[in-house]
Formats: sequence, C-alpha cells, structure tokens
Amino acid sequence: MDHLKKSDESLLEVLKERAKELNCLYQIEEILNNRKLSLPEIFEGIIKTIPSGWQFPEICQARIVYENSSYQSPNYQPSSWVDSCKIKVDDKVVGKIEVSYTKKVPWREGGFFLEKEHKLIRTIADRIGQVILHRRMEHILREWDHAKQELAGKENGGKEWMVIIDLLRRTDKNMLFHICQKMIRYLSWSGITEATEILPQFDAGLRDRTDEGRDELNSPSAKQPLDLLDMCDRTFKIAAERLNDNEITVQLKQWILEEKGYQLIKAINRIGASLSDIIEAVTHYCNMTEGADLTYSPTERWLKVALIRRFLSEDLNFINIAKQYFDVTDFNELIQRIIFPAGSHGKLGGKSAGMILGQQILHKLKEELALPFPLKVPKTWYLTTDCSIEFLHYNNLEELNELKYKELHEIRANYPNVIQLMKNSRFPPGIVKSLAMALDDFGNTPLIVRSSSLLEDQMGASFSGKYKSLFLANRGSKQKRLEALMDAIAEVYASLYNPDSLQYRAERGLLDFHEEMGIIIQEVVGIRVGPNYLPICAGVAFTNNELRWSPRVKREDGLARIVPGFGTRAVDRLSDDFPFLVSPGQPALRVNHTPEETKHYSPKKIDLINLEKEVFETVTVKDFLQKYGDRIPNLHLLVSVYHEDLLTHPSRFEIDVEKDDLVVTFEGLFSRTPFMKQLEIILKTLTEKMNTPVDLEFAFDGENFYLLQCRSQSSAEDNLPYPIPKDIPAGDIIFTANRYISNGKITGASYIVYVDPEGYGRLTKLEDLIRVGRAVSKLNSILPKRQFILMGPGRWGSRGNIKLGVQVGYADINNTSLLIEIARQKGNYLPELSFGTHFFQDLVESNIRYLPLYPDDSGVVFNEAFLTKNENLLPKLLPEFDDLAEVIRVIDVPQATFGKVLRVLMNADLEEAVGYLTDPTVAVAEPERKPEEPLPQPGADFWRWRFHMAERIAAELDPDYFGVKGMYLFGSACNATAGPGSDIDLLIHFQGNETQRRELSKWLDGWSLCLAEINYLKTGYASPGLLDVHFITDEDIANKTSFAVKIGAVTDPAHPLKLKS
Amino acid sequence: MKSLTYNPYQTAQAQFDKVADLIGLEPSLKEYLRQPMREYHFTIPVKMDDGTVKVFKGFRVQHNDARGPAKGGIRFHPEETADTVRALAMWMTWKCSVVDIPLGGGKGGVICDPRSLTEREQEQLCRGWVRQLARNVGPCLDVPAPDVMTNAKHMLWMLDEFETIHGGRYPGFITGKPVGMGGSLGRTEATGFGVIFVLREALKELGIKPENTTASVQGFGNVAQHAVKKYQELGGKVIAISCWDFKDKTAYTYRKKDGVDVETLIGITDSFGSIDKDKARDLGYETLPGEAWIEQEVDILIPAALENQITRANVGKISPRVKVIVEGANGPTATEADEIIKERGIFLVPDFLANAGGVTCSYFEQVQSNMNFYWEKQEVLEKLDTKMTSAYAGVSELARRQKVYMRDAAYIIAINRVAQAVKSRGWV
Repeated sequence: MDHLKKSDESLLEVLKERAKELNCLYQIEEILNNRKLSLPEIFEGIIKTIPSGWQFPEICQARIVYENSSYQSPNYQPSSWVDSCKIKVDDKVVGKIEVSYTKKVPWREGGFFLEKEHKLIRTIADRIGQVILHRRMEHILREWDHAKQELAGKENGGKEWMVIIDLLRRTDKNMLFHICQKMIRYLSWSGITEATEILPQFDAGLRDRTDEGRDELNSPSAKQPLDLLDMCDRTFKIAAERLNDNEITVQLKQWILEEKGYQLIKAINRIGASLSDIIEAVTHYCNMTEGADLTYSPTERWLKVALIRRFLSEDLNFINIAKQYFDVTDFNELIQRIIFPAGSHGKLGGKSAGMILGQQILHKLKEELALPFPLKVPKTWYLTTDCSIEFLHYNNLEELNELKYKELHEIRANYPNVIQLMKNSRFPPGIVKSLAMALDDFGNTPLIVRSSSLLEDQMGASFSGKYKSLFLANRGSKQKRLEALMDAIAEVYASLYNPDSLQYRAERGLLDFHEEMGIIIQEVVGIRVGPNYLPICAGVAFTNNELRWSPRVKREDGLARIVPGFGTRAVDRLSDDFPFLVSPGQPALRVNHTPEETKHYSPKKIDLINLEKEVFETVTVKDFLQKYGDRIPNLHLLVSVYHEDLLTHPSRFEIDVEKDDLVVTFEGLFSRTPFMKQLEIILKTLTEKMNTPVDLEFAFDGENFYLLQCRSQSSAEDNLPYPIPKDIPAGDIIFTANRYISNGKITGASYIVYVDPEGYGRLTKLEDLIRVGRAVSKLNSILPKRQFILMGPGRWGSRGNIKLGVQVGYADINNTSLLIEIARQKGNYLPELSFGTHFFQDLVESNIRYLPLYPDDSGVVFNEAFLTKNENLLPKLLPEFDDLAEVIRVIDVPQATFGKVLRVLMNADLEEAVGYLTDPTVAVAEPERKPEEPLPQPGADFWRWRFHMAERIAAELDPDYFGVKGMYLFGSACNATAGPGSDIDLLIHFQGNETQRRELSKWLDGWSLCLAEINYLKTGYASPGLLDVHFITDEDIANKTSFAVKIGAVTDPAHPLKLKS
Repeated sequence: MKSLTYNPYQTAQAQFDKVADLIGLEPSLKEYLRQPMREYHFTIPVKMDDGTVKVFKGFRVQHNDARGPAKGGIRFHPEETADTVRALAMWMTWKCSVVDIPLGGGKGGVICDPRSLTEREQEQLCRGWVRQLARNVGPCLDVPAPDVMTNAKHMLWMLDEFETIHGGRYPGFITGKPVGMGGSLGRTEATGFGVIFVLREALKELGIKPENTTASVQGFGNVAQHAVKKYQELGGKVIAISCWDFKDKTAYTYRKKDGVDVETLIGITDSFGSIDKDKARDLGYETLPGEAWIEQEVDILIPAALENQITRANVGKISPRVKVIVEGANGPTATEADEIIKERGIFLVPDFLANAGGVTCSYFEQVQSNMNFYWEKQEVLEKLDTKMTSAYAGVSELARRQKVYMRDAAYIIAINRVAQAVKSRGWV
C-alpha cells in the first residue's frame, strides 16, 4: 500500500508541474497577442511570466536578447545552471531567450531542467520569432494597402492586377513593357480590334528601345519610354473593359514568371551568347524561380529544349526524348562542373550527351523502377568541345587540321610526332585553373579521361575505340596530378589525328565534318584491393542479343559481356580471353555447361589500376586472386572453385585463395544478388524510354551500380540488320532462312564448303566420319581466310555422337566467315542444332557468323542443286580425300557462276536471312538507320598496287642466280578481290638447290617485310609479311599436285610474271 | 541387313561377333551377349522455369550384369539414340571384364540439350530420371556415373533423389561424386598411373629396364601428365611431348633430348594442357611441329590425347627403335594403322586395358561407398597397381599362350569372362 501511495503522490507532483507550465504559456500567449504592446514591452512581460512556469520559481530568472538589446529579470545574475534557445525569424537567428537558476538545483532526468521545460522554452522562442515576423510584415502590408488605396482613389476600385501593374511601373519598366506586349497580343488574339491597332506601334516602340542595348535597359532614361508607358495605360484600360479582373490577374502572374525565364532563353538563343552567359543565366533563373512551379508551362519546355540543344545535342530525336526527363534545374547541377574557354560556344560531345541522358532517365524514374542496387553517377567534369580548338589556337597548332587531308601513310608516320607535339603544348591559363579546381573537387581518387567528340556516338557513326580513353592513378602532389591530367587530355586530343579514326571518317564521308573533341573527366568507379584499384565487375550490355546460344534465348532478352575489374576487357573482342556472356532476360540459360567449359571460357585476365606503380595494367586473374583475393569483400560473388570437374560456389569463408582453383563465374552475383534483375530493368527502361535498342557500359563496386555510357545499339557496327532485297532473281537464291536469325552480312564469299547431310549420313565407317572433320580442317587452312563459308549437317563440333555433326574443333573452322548448320527433316523428327555452342565464345570473339538452316520448312528456299551439281574442287585441292567427294563439296562460286559471289544478308528484326549469288561490285544496301554511312571504298587500289609490286619483284628476280624457272601471281591480288589486309600469293616454279632456295627465301622475306610495312602505312593493317610464297617443282606441275593446279587452270588461273632477263 | 549409315551399335556387334567366333561361343550365348539383357525407355516430364511442361525421353540399358551390378555413365545429349546407348553399354561390359572388376556394363541417357536448360530444370531432369528407375537401379543392381554433359553436380542430385525414395543413405548407388560426398581419392591420378603400371609390366615381360628407356608422349592433359610423372619415377626418360596450343590453334611437339622436366612443364601449362610455347623455348625445349612426336627415336610411344592419331598416313614414320605403344587415349590407332603395327611386331597395350585405371577407380569408389569407409590416397593407388598388374598379366599371358595380338587377347579375355559368368549362372 505504501508504494502505491508514493506513486500517487509523484503523479500529483507531475500534474502540478504541467499545470504550472500551461498557465505560463497561456499568459505569455496573451502578452504576445496584445497588439498594443511594442516588442520591448512584450519581452518585459514574458520575462516576468517565465519563472512561474518553472520548477523552482523563487530562484528562476529569464533574459531575452534581441537586436543588440538585452531584456532581463531584475537582479539578473549570470549563472551556470542555464537553458537557452535561439529566436529565429525567416530562418535567421535574431536573438535568444535564456532561463537560469541562481542557485544549484537537484539533478533530474539528465539535467537541471525538466524535459517539459526544454520544450516550453523552445515553444516560447518560436512564438516570439513568429510575432517578430508578423510585426515586420505588418509594416510592409500597410504600405501595400496604402498603394492600393491610392489606386482605388484613381480608378474604379482596388484590383490586384492594378497593384501589380503599378508596382512594375515603378520598379521594372522593362518587364512592364513585355507584359504589356503580351497583353496586347492576348487581346488581339481574342479579337479585340483596338488592341490590334496598338500592336504595331507598340512593337515598333519596343524594338527601338531594345536596340539601345541591354545594359541601358536596367536604368531607362525618363524621356524615352513615355509613349510606351502611355500605350501601356491604354492597353490595360482596354483589358479592364474587356476581360474580367481575375483573368487579368492570372495572366499577369503567369507572364511575369515566364518573363523571368526569357532572359535565359534569350541568352541561349542569342547567336553570340557564350557558355558563361548561359551558365550565369541558368544560375540566375534557378535562384529566381525557386519554388515556383513552371513545369507545365510552355516556357519551361522551351527553355529546356534550348538548353538541351545548346549543351547536349541538336539531334531532334535526342531532344524529343531528353526534354521529357530534364528540368531546367537539372542543368544547374550540370553546369557547376563544366570547364570551358572564355567566350565558349562548345557542347559536351556525343558520349557525354548519351551518358547524361541515360542517367537522367533512370534518375527521374527512380521511384517507379525501385532498383535493387543504388544507381550512382560517378563524379564527372566536362571540358566543352571547343576547349580542343582553344588548345590548338593557344599553341598555334591550327595547321594540324590540314593533316586529315594528307595521305594516310603520311598521317600514320606523323602520328607519333603529333602526340608528342600535343603533349608538349600548354593549356590556356583559364583552363588550367579550372582543371585545378576540378582536381580539388575529385581529391585523389583515380580518374578516367575519355573523349566525347561531336561525331562520337552520333549520326550513326560509332567511333568506339577510335578515340582514346586514359586512366590516371591521380596520386602525388597537386602539381603532379595536374600535369598528369593535362598530359592525358592532350593525348586524347591527339587521337583526333589518329590515322585509324581519320581513315574511319574518310571511309564514311565524315572527313569534312567540323570535329571537336570534348573531354569527360570522371571519377573511376572502384574499390581498393591492396595496392590496386578496380570495380569488382564491369561490362557492356545490349538490348538485343545477336548471339543466341539456345533457341530459348530470345533476341530481346539482351546480352551482357561482364568481366572482373575494368570494363575495358568487355568492350572489345578479345583474342586471348573471354568475357562472361549472359542474357539478362534469361540469366539461368548459360552459354557453358560443363565445369570444364565454364572454366575454359572464363575471364583469365583483369584490368586494374596499380596505385603504387601508378599505372593501368592487365594482370592474370590467377595471380591477382592469389595475392589479393582475401581483400576483395565480395570475392564469393565473383568466383567458383573448380575441383576435379566440379564447380562449387563457396561462401565467403570457404575460399582459400592460395590453394583453390578459382574460376570467375559471377555465379554468386547472379544467383545470390538481384544484379541481373537490375541490369534487365535498366536495359528495358532505357530501351523503352530512348525508343531504340541501347548499348550500355556499367560498373559495379559491390554496393552501387554505375551507368558509365549509354548510346544507341544500332551504332555497333557489325550487328546491323541488313535489308533483305526483294528483287533477287529466284535462280540466284541459294538458301533462305527464317528462324533464329541474328544480324550481319557476308559481303561476298568465293567458296562454299558443303558437307552434304545425306552423304554424311550414308557414311558407315567411323573412320570416314572422322576424316570428314579432317578434310574440313585442311580446307580451312588452304582456302583464303574469311572468303569461304561452311555448311554442314546438324551440330558442328558435336561431341559424343559423331553422326550428329562433323567432328571439328574451333581451330578446324577458324577461318570461315560463316558457319551454317542444316537441320533436315528425318522421318518425323527434326534434329536439334547446336547454335555453334561447341565453340560459341570462340565464334563470338572472332566475329564468325552463325546461321541455322531448316531446308524442309515451308516457305524457304534451299538450292540443293547448286550445291551438289557444280564442280567439286575437293579432289583437286585434297587428293587424299577424293573418296569423300560425295560428302564434301567445295564450290568455287565465281567459277561456277561466271564471276558472281555468294552474299549472305541476315536481318534479325525481320527474322529473315538470304544467301544469294550476286555480282561482287553491287553494293550491299545499308541498313536504314545510318544513311550517312557510305560503303567502304571498293578495293580497286588494294589489288592494283599488289599486282604492280608482284610484277616489280619478278622483274628484280634473277632466275639463274636463284634457280627459278617461273613465277606466278594468284589469289586476290590477281583476281582483283584483294582487301586491305590481303596478302600477295606467289607461286615459284623452283628447280635450284637447297642453298639457292634458302637465299631466295631470304630475299623474298625482305620484300615481304617491306611490303607489309608499306601496306601498314597505307591501310593500318599490320602483318608480319605480305608475301605468301609457295614453291612448286617440275614434278608438282607434271602431277598437277599442290598449288600447281593453279597454273593454266580454267578459271582463276595463276598469272605468269615476267622475270628479270 | 546392314544399314547404310554408320551405326555404332552395329559396329560394336560386328566386333563382338568376330571375337565370339574366334572363341567359338555357342550360338545361344552369342545371341544373348550381342544385345542388352535389359532396356528401360521412359519419359520424364519437367516443369520448366517459364511454367510450361516439357517431356523428355530417358533410357537405361543394362547390357549384362552376370559379373556384378551394371556400371556405366549417364549422357545428356540432344540427339541420343538407343543404338548409341546400346553400343556404349556393351563396351562397358567388356571394359569392366578385362580388368576383372566385379561389375557389368550399362549406359543411360536423356535426350536433351543441357545448354538450353537452366540449372533448376536440369535438377528436375536428374531427379525425374531416378524416379522412373528407382527400383531398377541401385548399389547392387546398376551403378550410374557421369558421362557426356553430366558431372558430379548431376550425380549428387540423382543420389539424393534415390536416397529420398529408398529412405536411407546409399552412396554406392552412383560414382563420380566429389571427395567428401562419397567420392574416392586418387581419381585424378588413376588413369595416368594405370597406363604406366601396365607399361611397367610390359617392359618387364620384354626384358627391358625402364631406366634404359625413352618415351614420346602425345598430349599433356591430366592423363598424360600423371603418366609422365609415374614413368619418370620408374627411371624412364620422356624426351618429347606434343600438345595443343590454344593461342596458335595448332599442336606443337616440345623436345628435350636429355629428358623433359615434368614438374617444370606442368608449371608452364594451363589447365587445358597447353604448354606455354615461349616459356618452353626459354627453358631450352625445341619446338617441333605437332606431328613430330610420332617420329622420335624412342623406345615407347604413349598416345594420350585424341582418337585416330596413328593413321595410315603417319604410321610409317614410327622409328624402328620403338618397341612399345601404350594407348593412353581412347582409340588412338586407326584400324589400318593397327594392322601395320601388328606386322611390324611393335608391342601394343590396347586402350581399354591401358586406360582402365579410371573405371577401376570408379569401382573403388563404389566399394568404399558401400562400406562407408574411405581409403587414403596411397591405399587407393596401391590397390590400383595390384588390379592393373593382374589385369595385364591375364591379357598378356593369353596373348603369349595363344599367340594373338594384344588387342585381340584383351577382347577374348573380356568376352570370355562374361560368357563364363553367364554360363555358370545357368542363364544360357
């Protein structure tokens, strides 16, 4: 009972305190609301009241400090038992209120004051602030009312719009005139004739005035605008008569807001307006319109479009999409990080535009998409495109621009000098200063310097890989970092004169385009792992999957190429490594199935920045993981452990980086995190919103997903949907297909290697079946590279059951340009094709096309007669396999068709492909999306100079000295089909001894090297030697073996060359 | 009537017929053995990830289990045919018999393309396969193993389904399991070591000391690497190794006349058996064309890479010094080349004896699983040596006694053992 009583008592105590506090508050409220009291009187009153609300009123005192005056209790003494709160008006501190005890009081609830007392003092401070604000406003309102009354005296009653007009008249005449002009037009459109009459006069008056110049507008002389003011009065008088007051008020307010935007629009649209003007105007605009909702006004839209056009792109499609996702305020953020020369008119360049748009779309849809991983944008600074021009100008390097019209070999020879020249040039001081600022902003995180030129990613031309991107470790002193940054920018600038990019432009008729190079300086996404810096994975992703490894993978399921470390290894095809391929729409359908294959086709190398050595380097995954694997926080998401033909997916604690055989599979990332979902959402969203298939670059640091690039996929060159001509004569069609088609083309194949499905099926001996694979392998090595196609039954490279397909490995088919699998109906079942999966990733990396044919489908053409009735070259080429002539047929297409070649066009959009005979000189119709791109130059020159050089060699060759009886030219240089990388095939009829042969080989090697160098300078195709020399003997000629068949052949014979006499 | 196309089953039957006639098997026994004693054909419905149901066709062929439970792999192949499975099941019977392990022959599969199946769908397929056969397979009836496009992962799913149905733990139901989950140690070494165990016995019989011999090896994968190691332990000297170069897409032969150092070479070999060409050159190895392995002046040739490597075209290049060929790979010698080798009197240890180390180790895995007691690696390899040695002795003794070619002797002994078991049981 006792304790119950006690708690009752304490409850009573608490209630008493509350009552005291409330009383105090009521009294203070009364004082504050007394309008008759002045502020000091109010403060005095409050000070007297406060102690009554506190626990120990006898020893409680209060003080208010406001605008340099202090109001306090009588006998106020400083104390250390104080509670205080700031008084704020409009978020500005204007004073404070203090409550204190003169003596020490018991410690309660963590202080000398009760929690309720804290709240009370805060409430009082707030109320005081509000009263002060109200008192100030009263002052203004009184003036306002006064103005109203004044007006009311003059005109018919006080109307809000009149107040506005009056204010404008007194403060901003310029604005008044524009508003007035709008009103006149508004009236005139409403059919009010009086207004129509004023309009021309007013416009004329306004024009005269504007011509005076901008600066003077801000302080107009009293004389000039008189008649305009007069007209304003007339206008509003008409308005007052014809429109209702409310309508006028609404219009006026809207126009004023819009008018504020015009300054910006004018700045943007003025021909001479420089970037700094615009940046200033944007900032100004954003400050002025803060809080005002202009989103749906046409002005805002106009403004956005103007800004998009000015900074990003003039492309209409681009603007159409971009305007839906940008607000003017978004530019405010962007412009903080733009570096530009004085008076700049530059843009940010193509790559930046795509990246910014992609990021903006995803940013705007953030809520709706609910991405599983946060989508982040790495900190980025931009150099406008005309910085490059300014740079050239500052260093007097403009003459470099004529470089592009020089011969390619000159350009190539000059290029190293250009790089040095650029690197030794100086940046204008303004830019240096801005770069220094940028570096301060970045700190010492590693950076990437990327090109973003006007041409890049625009107009359908993909400059992927033509211009440079450079990584910087960004370590050391500020000066050192700055120099490294400028060095990198200069090097990227130099790549404007890179022979490969110039040649690319020349081929596409873009040489005369005024190219400028913008620069993106971006924080490199990554984490620190030991002395290294890298993202845990990165890669590229495409909306359309042109490489389907299973019929279940649909084109729209997309494709991603993912690698550990920097995405540099995912962007380009690799000759010695494999990125991980996955379809975001079907992540469970993997390319590789057996653990062995998965391991074989897993990434073996990794790109990273070594912060200690301050270099960007490629290291093997094995070494890297052994040394630093333990320090990668999410290693278990990246790797699987391979052990005795089993891949296990260990948890973080099970991995022994030193002993385990680690294979990069990303299994954990895909199956234990929503990473693939994220990628799929992003791909789908951008595809839909940008209204085009896209091509993305991304990076992932374990927690955040970064979008690094975004552009239209159609610009990816080898994967275009080629139009299928409808006017091919029926007799010229060799095959058509309409299932599982990917994009691509084979311009002109000269040979078809056809393994007849029926013939192959008839083979009864295992050894013969194996020999078919051997023969194909031999053909692969003797037929000209990429000039033949392989057609065969079922599954190329079949394992397990040789009957299902020719047994070959990748090396046995690696020179073909197209691999065709034929599924012929067998009874009532159709064999399943392999989709090239036995060496799928090899095909991808070497860009060999794949096409499945279903000849028994209705509606398709399969010209079997062409394949089986024409002359079979097999017995001639490979006499040892002549018994297989019924099974393997090698057709020389030009020979069989009087000079035609086989062209294959594949169009995934239409799910159609056709292989037909055509004159090689007929150009392939280019896909519609890039009409700007002309066909690459026909190769007339390529063969002509090769032919000439062959004649020169022969003319220099001393037949007696070397024991040579004759010399012939054959192949592409002879039949005029040579491409830029073709070699020169020489046939030497030799009858000398071993010494002579050695000497001759050496002599020819010299020529070969020399010609390769010339060819490199002319075309950029590097090769160890250009001559492909074949020796034949009398015996060969007599037996017509080896290449001797070429001599005196009916078609495509070797051409005899005249030797030195 | 002979079919007009290549049929592996008919080929296997023809091979059997030849030997059966040689042994003089009675017609009924021949008839009985030239075809499987039991076949199961069934369907496996699988709910696919997209909600549809797909029906797959499955098989299990038990060719013969007179000598013990049938043993053989499970293949996932899009164009599997019953005849292929039959041929392979028969081959398993002979293979187990030639090394004298108490197992019969079987094979199975599912017509499917695992490349178009997700992981979950594959699991359903594996479990579905076991559900259909749960009463017809098992540690005492038929023991499956991994094969084309199946691996340890699939075996564990199958084992789990089997054990769920039968309500117990029966690790001996299946082989090819990972170590720690019922797998056996020593599997990696088994095939390569087995090759050398029989080589050692062959040399002993020919009166040649291993330490006085040199060898040339084709291939440098798992089998070849372990074979070379074991051979060098015996004192032999490998002077040439040929292997595939993935970068150059061609094969090279690496030669060092005073003997290769296998550990160093393994150090510069990737996991697919490609030796780093440049590093090898720096280490003083000559780089010769891929085919050169066969023409080396050595005593022993060990083809341990692919089938059909010794052909009519290159058999003539074999040096007169070569005394023994041990077939580490499956079918490395083409039929015509085989004839020439026979004529030249080169001693040949045929593939299904020489590389039977693998299947022997599978048998050991099953034995250990049944006992639920697992041996140390040393013990596995010792037992392997014993088994291979006695298997070799059996074949060579017959070859010597009956003056037949080793390959023929191996077939004779294998088929004869099965025939005897069938007769002893009174089946035929």
